[in-house]
Amino acid sequence: MNFGDFKLFYWLSCLALGLVILSPTLAIIVKLPGGERFSEFWILGPEHMAEGYPFNVSENGVYKIHLGISNHMGDLEHYLVYVKFRNQNESLPNNVNGTPSVLQPLFEYRVFLEDGGVWERQVLFSFGGVSREGNLSRVLRLSLDGSAVNVDKVAAWDQTNKGFYYQLFFELWRYNATASAFQFHDRFVGIWLNMTVAV
Amino acid sequence: MIVCRLEEIDMTDFRTLGLLFAVSVLMISVTTQMCFAVDEVEARGLISQAEHDLISAYAAVAAAKDAGANVSALIVRLDEAGGLLARASGLLGVGDYGNASLLAVQCSFTVLGVVDAAETLKVEAEARSRDSFFMSAAVSSVGLSVLFVLSLLGWNFFKKRFFRQVLDMKPEVGGAE
Repeated sequence: MNFGDFKLFYWLSCLALGLVILSPTLAIIVKLPGGERFSEFWILGPEHMAEGYPFNVSENGVYKIHLGISNHMGDLEHYLVYVKFRNQNESLPNNVNGTPSVLQPLFEYRVFLEDGGVWERQVLFSFGGVSREGNLSRVLRLSLDGSAVNVDKVAAWDQTNKGFYYQLFFELWRYNATASAFQFHDRFVGIWLNMTVAV
Repeated sequence: MIVCRLEEIDMTDFRTLGLLFAVSVLMISVTTQMCFAVDEVEARGLISQAEHDLISAYAAVAAAKDAGANVSALIVRLDEAGGLLARASGLLGVGDYGNASLLAVQCSFTVLGVVDAAETLKVEAEARSRDSFFMSAAVSSVGLSVLFVLSLLGWNFFKKRFFRQVLDMKPEVGGAE
């Protein structure tokens, strides 16, 4: 090693050591960008697995699922979950436009989650006032966690899939502090229910 | 009889008095709701007020969290209030305006004081953060100064040693063959 190389090596070493000494202060000042920001939203079956979801339902049964949210948005989030119920002809949220279903929510859950936090709850639901007339099935009431609400939904016989199909689905909304309003978070989950065996 | 000198009353006392006043107003409101029937408009108004209170509390807690405060206890209260408001909205949907109003007022009760608590936590967290920054900056400054002096001394030492080694070298004479 000649003198010039040694000089360069010495002062670079001093500079590196200086940066190490300065690093705690730099860590306070410099905020590195976080990872991807997103929220997870899921439904699990009664055994807390992604299987065994209620499908064939009737007026006499009480059905169980688990609903969960995980926050990876980097901040404390205020989520709003809307519970909606539809027949096969009514609107679902639009994945392409990111718009929610136009159906009125029947129930709601409000969740506050820190970054990295997980919220999960058991949801029990049942149906009341189920009737059938020819090719039409009707559901008058939906109970969720013991609270009943009038839904009055009619489903026509699905010739292809052989059943009267309804869908219970959940939309995830998030409070946007900039807009001072809840906005659809472009996530929804749901389960199809076949009321064929009802009554 | 309570005797209190004026200089003993500070801002905390005024805040406590304000809080007590707000609690009293809300309690009167609840009692009124229990005594008289509530119509849909009133119920919607109370739910809207509860939502506003909840959002304000959330904003204050989020700001405190951003400042680095531990807001776990406040989040528990927000969750509780959120549950009450969700139930109130559900009851409003089925036309049970009385209970919906009651739950909405309970929601407002639950978040009462959360904004103040969050602001206090935020101020404390900011002060801690500032102290931590100044301490870190001071330690770094001292460390850099020491490093600067030592590196100059070290460089003089190594430079002298290098030249001494060069001067001590015996010249080699290469003869032509």
